[in-house]
Amino acid sequence: MSSLSARITVLAGAAMWLSACASNPVADEKIAVAKTSVQRAEQAGAPQAAPVELSTARDKLARAEKANMDHNLKPSAELAEQANIDAQVAEATAQQERSHKAAAEFDASMRALRQEATRGSQSNQ
Amino acid sequence: MKTKLLIGMAVALLIVSCATTPEPNATLESARAVVKSAEADPNVVKYDPLDLEGAKKELEIAESAYLHHDEPGIAQPAYLAAQTARLAQLKASAKADDARVAAGQEERNQIQLAARARETENAKAARDLEAQNAARLQAEVDALKAKPTDRGLVLTLGDVLFDTGKAELNSGAARKLDQLAQFLTEHPDRRVQVDGFTDSVGTDSYNLDLSQRRADAVRSAVLGRGIDSTRITSQGYGKAFPVASNSDSGGRQLNRRVEIVIGGENGATIPARH
Repeated sequence: MSSLSARITVLAGAAMWLSACASNPVADEKIAVAKTSVQRAEQAGAPQAAPVELSTARDKLARAEKANMDHNLKPSAELAEQANIDAQVAEATAQQERSHKAAAEFDASMRALRQEATRGSQSNQ
Repeated sequence: MKTKLLIGMAVALLIVSCATTPEPNATLESARAVVKSAEADPNVVKYDPLDLEGAKKELEIAESAYLHHDEPGIAQPAYLAAQTARLAQLKASAKADDARVAAGQEERNQIQLAARARETENAKAARDLEAQNAARLQAEVDALKAKPTDRGLVLTLGDVLFDTGKAELNSGAARKLDQLAQFLTEHPDRRVQVDGFTDSVGTDSYNLDLSQRRADAVRSAVLGRGIDSTRITSQGYGKAFPVASNSDSGGRQLNRRVEIVIGGENGATIPARH
């Protein structure tokens, strides 16, 4: 009987110890979100289009993870939030660059086409 | 009276303390500016209102912290507000470009279709023109009574157009020569070879000389109608290349002739007679 209560005490202690060690779920989630955003940005051409924003995001993500380990929950969550938005800005910068380039190329092709059309109708006259 | 004054002063102090605006905050001010410029961007309003809303919400949080003198509470929402506003502008700009390209595809297709239709039309017009030219040429050739041969179109001036033994063309030749000159004027890239022939009566030297003089006479007559001298050559062949028997007068008359060979287009040279 006494051994059982001793076991319970040990278990409870272990649980407490674990929970104290476990990181904060809010910071965890924000870090996970930021990680995903950074990965997306990396795959979306941000390393070329927005290297500064991307490396800022990576840096903040690393710092968020470290703060989380150190139980500095508020800074961790805030850094993760910043890393997330920075990564999104980096990704959007790459996308914007692509769309802008595609639109410029499209405009050029349309100009050429219109000129050709004008020449064609003139030669027809 | 004194109590009232004291109360009044206390109230005034309270109001003043509440009304003091906090120190200006640079992060917040820059966030305000970025959000404002995103709000003013018609593309953002059209293509990414969601992120704009997010930016405005963060800015409100920052403003609230600012009003409540919560200095440390300003930086994070202000930063998020500014970055979200930037995000909104970037996304909206990309979407606006994409939308423009998508909308332009239809116009591009129409221009291409129109161009193709015009090309077909032009090709048809060119074919029609070619057919017309061919028909006109045929009509002109018919009028000249020229025969197509492997050397070119051959127009024969018969013996009757020359006086016997002479190289001068009589008036009967004028109409044919007028037609020939007109044809050559209309087809300035065609060359002409004038060949003279006789029957077998008389010496070879006489016949060669006569055929040469007759060919020369035709050449001169054509030159006299305004055709460039470099386009026309003439040659006498004497009794060679008969077209009929020299044993009767009818055949001999056919052999006494001048043949005018009209070359092909683009200044093609006329192969020599052999």
